[in-house]
Amino acid sequence: MARINLENLGFVYPGAESATLDGLNLTIADGEAHALLGASGAGKTTLLNILSGLLTPTSGALRFDDKDVSRQSGRLRNVAQVFQFPVLYESLSVAENLAFPLKTRKAPENLIRDRLDYICDELHIGDLRALKPAALSLFQKQLIAVGKALVRPDVSLVLLDEPLTAVEPRTKWRLRQTLRRVQADLKVTMIYVTHDQTEALTFADRVSVLTAGGILQTGTPEQVYNSPEHEFVGHFVGSPGMNFLPAKALGINDADRAGFRPEWAVLSRANSTPSTAPANSTGIGHITGKILRIRVQGAQAGKPFGLLTVATDHGEVAVRGEFPDAAVSAGDRLHMQLTRCIAYTDQRKVSDIELL
Amino acid sequence: MLSVNNVCLIPNEDNVFSHSFARGEICVVLGANQSGKTNLCRLIAGLNTRARGAVHLDDKSLEKLSPRARPVSMVYQAFVNYPNLTVFENIASPLIARKASNEAVSKSVTDLAEKLRIDPLLHRLPSELSGGQQQRVAIARALAQDAQVLLLDEPLVNLDFKLREALEVELRELLRASNTVVIYTSSDPRDAFTHGDQLLLLDKGKKIQAGPPLQVYERPSSPTAMALLADPDINRFYRDGKLCALRPEHIELVGAGPTSGNAVDFHMQVTAYETNGDESFVHGLVEGAEWVLRQRGMLPVNVGQTLQINAALRDVVQF
Amino acid sequence: MSSFKPKNNRAWLGVLPVLLIVAFSAVIPLMTVVNYSVQDILDFNSRFFVGFEWYQQTLKDPRFVDAFLRQVVFSLTILAIEVPLGVAVAKGIPKDSRFTSLILILLALPLLIPWNVVGTIWQVFARPDIGLLGWTVNALGIPYNYTAEPLHAWLTLVAMDVWHWTSLIALLAFAGLTSIPTPFYQAAELDGASRWQVFRYVEMPRLQGVLIIGVLLRLMDSFMIYTEPFVLTGGGPGNATTMLSQHLATMAVGQFDLGPAAAFSVIYFLFILLFCWIFYTSVVRSDDE
Repeated sequence: MARINLENLGFVYPGAESATLDGLNLTIADGEAHALLGASGAGKTTLLNILSGLLTPTSGALRFDDKDVSRQSGRLRNVAQVFQFPVLYESLSVAENLAFPLKTRKAPENLIRDRLDYICDELHIGDLRALKPAALSLFQKQLIAVGKALVRPDVSLVLLDEPLTAVEPRTKWRLRQTLRRVQADLKVTMIYVTHDQTEALTFADRVSVLTAGGILQTGTPEQVYNSPEHEFVGHFVGSPGMNFLPAKALGINDADRAGFRPEWAVLSRANSTPSTAPANSTGIGHITGKILRIRVQGAQAGKPFGLLTVATDHGEVAVRGEFPDAAVSAGDRLHMQLTRCIAYTDQRKVSDIELL
Repeated sequence: MLSVNNVCLIPNEDNVFSHSFARGEICVVLGANQSGKTNLCRLIAGLNTRARGAVHLDDKSLEKLSPRARPVSMVYQAFVNYPNLTVFENIASPLIARKASNEAVSKSVTDLAEKLRIDPLLHRLPSELSGGQQQRVAIARALAQDAQVLLLDEPLVNLDFKLREALEVELRELLRASNTVVIYTSSDPRDAFTHGDQLLLLDKGKKIQAGPPLQVYERPSSPTAMALLADPDINRFYRDGKLCALRPEHIELVGAGPTSGNAVDFHMQVTAYETNGDESFVHGLVEGAEWVLRQRGMLPVNVGQTLQINAALRDVVQF
Repeated sequence: MSSFKPKNNRAWLGVLPVLLIVAFSAVIPLMTVVNYSVQDILDFNSRFFVGFEWYQQTLKDPRFVDAFLRQVVFSLTILAIEVPLGVAVAKGIPKDSRFTSLILILLALPLLIPWNVVGTIWQVFARPDIGLLGWTVNALGIPYNYTAEPLHAWLTLVAMDVWHWTSLIALLAFAGLTSIPTPFYQAAELDGASRWQVFRYVEMPRLQGVLIIGVLLRLMDSFMIYTEPFVLTGGGPGNATTMLSQHLATMAVGQFDLGPAAAFSVIYFLFILLFCWIFYTSVVRSDDE
């Protein structure tokens, strides 16, 4: 296990005009579960390959526990990786697969036996030991691949490259939970690379949002979701993403734009006086518009809730929550009282504004 | 009105299916895989199926009519277009088959293409389009037939989330305007509200409940009906020997939930916590059963802890 | 359809040559041959039923037994050389260099040359007096004359077959190797696997399928080899390089012993069938383990 340090890390593919990675700085604590969240083309794979030793950074340094490993091979760094689809030795049994990384390093038999017992116990895969990979489901195979990555007691970093891609949708969450639990139990430094926000936010202690421009924000899942440092983070995380309006439209003067999550609004009919929302003397955080589209998602205590797309004078916004009443339909005017919003200037966060 | 009477939708099942679909309404047929959704569509369209039974459109039997002669059009899960015809020719094909005049053809095609926002693509081949665009073409072609019955067999299931969302809303607006019988099949509970005026729940070839979506949602006739319309599943418990159930979205953490006067309280031993930011799912054990609760936003929950949860009495469904 | 596992499909490819032989050359000819094999044919109008006499005679015939043993040794020898060599060559081909396709074309060249031309090339190439190979070897002080020395003739024949057919195995193996996704290599690297372990545990399991096809093709093809030794050595010196097919041709065409030749053919055919069956079942069994 190790603390991972990226110092001004950069990478340019030979012959490429611009850098794929430029000046990345990031410290991942020993034993941390860290997620790298980004769309395709954000440089996730490149960074992953630098961490695993497949690529050498063209500038800056990669340190494991303060030791510069930029030019060291992955096997010397003691990095293990779980891939998008299960990578196992097909001719070997589950137990032989699990023991493989230890055998290649000539570990003593009793250590191999102990680690195998420990990993099988931790992942609940004892029953599968004698089977060949061909007899396993994708879920089980990927579980074994995870076990193989964790089997070495001296592993310094485990990389997870969208490990749920190939797993059947219905069992994804179980594997996600297993990964989370095992990480917490073993306290292994793990980096989970994904474009899926559920995976990142559920798995990680901290999340870094990566774009072609670099790391836009690193923080806990709550920080990344509730207080995006950069407009792109707000837009990319969340479905639908954050709404952005000119700050002035919400009564905020010292910023360019203001952003709010769809669920940060209390909804009421605009033609009636907004009795549900307390009168706000400053006028901050009020906006009205015409309902364009309705997407009911259920009802609670007789009141439907769901997602509304609303046309305001400053653009379309999406809000999610309890509808003012059951008769709401497209064309009605809606008043939205924001509970909080975030002010941005030059796409960077200026302040969090709590309104209710 | 389209009536389907005493149909056996799944071979070797005893269940029979009868239902009348009204004109000008979209009926979402919701059911798991193998529940008979596709067989229902194929039966109405007259396509080769092992389902047998009577189909009447406005009291006229369709039984003797070949699929081609039926006033029925269908959109499939897979994006089915003529690969060697351009988008324009694809959409125009049913019109040309009806021997419509050139002006009429080009007018209808342009109208439909505009509505489905594929007008800039009219001269491309299907292979040059994205999945979402291909399905738009298939839908436009089905609409061009101007049939009295339109069958949509899980048309959006193969599209990714963002595309789906965009197409869903447009589709509903387009379908509303006509006097057609529209049947939309799906296995996704979220489609029930998005598309349907009417909702029909299908299980193993049997109609288990039908009605306006919200009514079916609030007053499910059986646990199966309730579970079909639940995301991801319902939570069962027993009170006075009776089976009761709660939807995941109706359970609140105590403090945020209703006051205890009109609420039922539970303890949940958390086994898993999942979030995508917008929503959180908490899995856990309640009174020996596996439960899941769904909440907007993120929750301060850790695996292993015991949560105090409650739900409003009026959201509890008793069977 | 789902019960149709890929390995079954591969096996169908394996027996495809036999099926083709059966379909084109066997349905009527085979029945004729079987008919001949149980008769003594003096001329067109006088023939006698002799039962299994020709079979017994053929199996006891030392020339047949010799040719058969020679054939088995030859087939096993070339397989033992061509398969490992082919895999080694395939491993040496760069996967994504701009020379890859050029190398593949060069490799495929021997496969495109007609068999009798191959024989002729080697006949000249290996001649001690004017052939590049023969002359060079002799110049190096090693006496070499494939027309006189049975061992030399053998070595030349094997060298020729290896030259002609290793490419086939190499191309098949290369196709097999390129189908292995790179994460498998990355994982092995991070697991600390040696080059031998990568070959043994990553590449071999994936190559098995194509190699089975390769071995089956080469086994049957080499069992039926005729043209090249005929052109190169004419089966000599003596009968040192007379393989089964040439022996058969001598009997049937040269001596016009139609009955014994027919019995020979049937036995020959059954042997090929038997070989393929043994190979196939043993492969399938080891697959199931």
